[in-house]
Amino acid sequence: MDFGLLLESYAAVWTNPEVLVMTLLGALGGVLLGAIPGMTATMGVALLIPFSFGMDLIPSIGLLLGIYCGGMYGGSISAILIHAPGTPAAAATLLDGYPMCKKGQAGKALSVAMFSSFCGGVIGALVMTFLSPLIADMAMKFGPGEMFMLAVFGLSVIVSISGKSISKGLISAFLGLALCTVGLDPTNGVPRFITYKQTGLLDGFQFIPTLIGMFAVAEVIAGVERILNGEEKQESSHEKIKNVLPDFATIKKIWPNILSGGLIGTLIGAIPGAGGDIAVFVSYGANKSASKHPELWGTGIPNGVASTESANNGCSGGAMIPLLSLGVPGDSVTAILLGAFIMKGITPGPMMYVNEIPTVYKVFAALMLANLAMLIVGCCGVRFFAKIVSVEKKMLYPIILVVSLLGAYSINKNVFDVAVCVGFGIFGWLMNKYEFPLSPILLALILGPMCEKNFVRFMNIQRGNFFAITKSPIAMTFAIVAVAVIIFSIFNQMKINKVQQLDPTQE
Amino acid sequence: MKKTQTKVFADLVGSIIFIILGIWAWIQTSSFQEVSGSYVQASTFPLIMIVGMLIFSVILLVQSVIKLLAMKGDSLSSAEKCESINPVTNKGVRAAFIVVALCVAFVALFQTLGYVICSAVIAVVIMYLIGKRDYVQMIIVSILVPLGMWLIFYKVLTVNIPMGPLQFLRDLLDKF
Repeated sequence: MDFGLLLESYAAVWTNPEVLVMTLLGALGGVLLGAIPGMTATMGVALLIPFSFGMDLIPSIGLLLGIYCGGMYGGSISAILIHAPGTPAAAATLLDGYPMCKKGQAGKALSVAMFSSFCGGVIGALVMTFLSPLIADMAMKFGPGEMFMLAVFGLSVIVSISGKSISKGLISAFLGLALCTVGLDPTNGVPRFITYKQTGLLDGFQFIPTLIGMFAVAEVIAGVERILNGEEKQESSHEKIKNVLPDFATIKKIWPNILSGGLIGTLIGAIPGAGGDIAVFVSYGANKSASKHPELWGTGIPNGVASTESANNGCSGGAMIPLLSLGVPGDSVTAILLGAFIMKGITPGPMMYVNEIPTVYKVFAALMLANLAMLIVGCCGVRFFAKIVSVEKKMLYPIILVVSLLGAYSINKNVFDVAVCVGFGIFGWLMNKYEFPLSPILLALILGPMCEKNFVRFMNIQRGNFFAITKSPIAMTFAIVAVAVIIFSIFNQMKINKVQQLDPTQE
Repeated sequence: MKKTQTKVFADLVGSIIFIILGIWAWIQTSSFQEVSGSYVQASTFPLIMIVGMLIFSVILLVQSVIKLLAMKGDSLSSAEKCESINPVTNKGVRAAFIVVALCVAFVALFQTLGYVICSAVIAVVIMYLIGKRDYVQMIIVSILVPLGMWLIFYKVLTVNIPMGPLQFLRDLLDKF
């Protein structure tokens, strides 16, 4: 690595006013778009890419990376404040973020999310800068067998997010996995649980309307019920946010989660087809399993927020690795970025590291800048975002509902998606009421399609011999770790239940 | 407290519902078309998941039955009470059902009346339902929020949203 050239590239990017302004604008747009339920970072990049047509390569990449990084953080704002993840990558943030908000710590949750997002993004960018070729080689060893086992490994987290009853968590998870199979079979096109006439369900239940329904709409229905029963209290508006960044004591507590989350996010992001939505659950499960106090996870602790937010922003760096070194996009946003590179006459891939090394270094610098821009925008906005919880609940719930329903419509501009969103809202409300956890369903909806698609591919390649998977060291590593995580999570849950039986106030 | 009012009984009912759902889904998979030459049929993956759901539903059923049989005297009186879903006796549940009905009406009328009108009506009704009585604030918020969202989606994000009778607003906006 030519460090002189690297520093020169950083200086060129960080002192270019056009790049600075574009990256900052991108981060602002990304944070705002990400905070709207239904608007993903991918949509943000796709919507704003036409604005980059007339720009030079680096300012345009700065703008798009700003949206990418900002969108990843923005998704956590609505997850923490209104129980509706703005983006799928923020889905796990609500596990601890929303309980923190309920405890009157919305500002703290937002600042932890922002700081962790920044650190995760920086970890991703550093790994991308120094280890790109190495990780790209590893990522390319992922075939269907390895991808299937990665999905199984992700699913092993289910036990740890099941709550008090493992049986109920697993019922939810298997139900979620079964729901993923509604629609056309991805390999043979055979309709399952539907007929060809039900066109709205040919592609199955769309993920984002389902997500918005299960969390935001269900929360509105439950909130209305609580208000009428006199069980709802207005969240504290008295939380004083002295510093927009977390204090030193909190940072000391969460840094291991940030570090591991950032690394997990980067590694998963580097695998083509696996993105932030998967990384956050893997990171949450791994960090919870490693915690000395797993019983506190899910009750509203900053560690939970830190582990997920660092993972989803770590993904931004990870997803750039296969894009730059192999020309293979790591996720949907980098697929659009690939288009942006090609439009500017640069073809990412191994030859880019030979012929266009100054450009590669400038992209590294732009990603680092995008993370800094996201931090600046986040710092300016924390106080403002935290005020949302002070809005009277009697007004906030109807607003959440109408914004959520619009978010569900905007994905495909299809009223059927709004109906799906409402249906899952009712379903989520009932499941919550009878303590069937929703997070395992969410995880199943994310990982189910990946699991099935790669399972079928693997079986067809291996002519029906499933045990051929034992020949892959990567797949076997995932399998062993998955089994260990399941055993450890069951053991942890039993310990938590025992403690809670002895002292119910710890619940 | 009766045994039927406990959380354990709710779990029992829940497990039975999931067992019925699982059996129905299992029967459905038998009608999936088979593709020759494919090592994994369209029904394979759903069937594995349905079997998983059935196994854990049966486990929950057994656990609930054992707990219910063991409930007597003190343990019954100290048992956790399950949440009500009866709209007649619980005003919260009644309001929740009204919100559900409003959401269904929103979906049904979305294309005809458009987003802004549907949202304004649903927002005002919900605010009134949950006890808000500042009518000026209610009307301002329920009109301005959907209108603002429509403006953002239409002008900034270029997402076309049905406007129903308010279509003229879009034409007006396009002229400027």
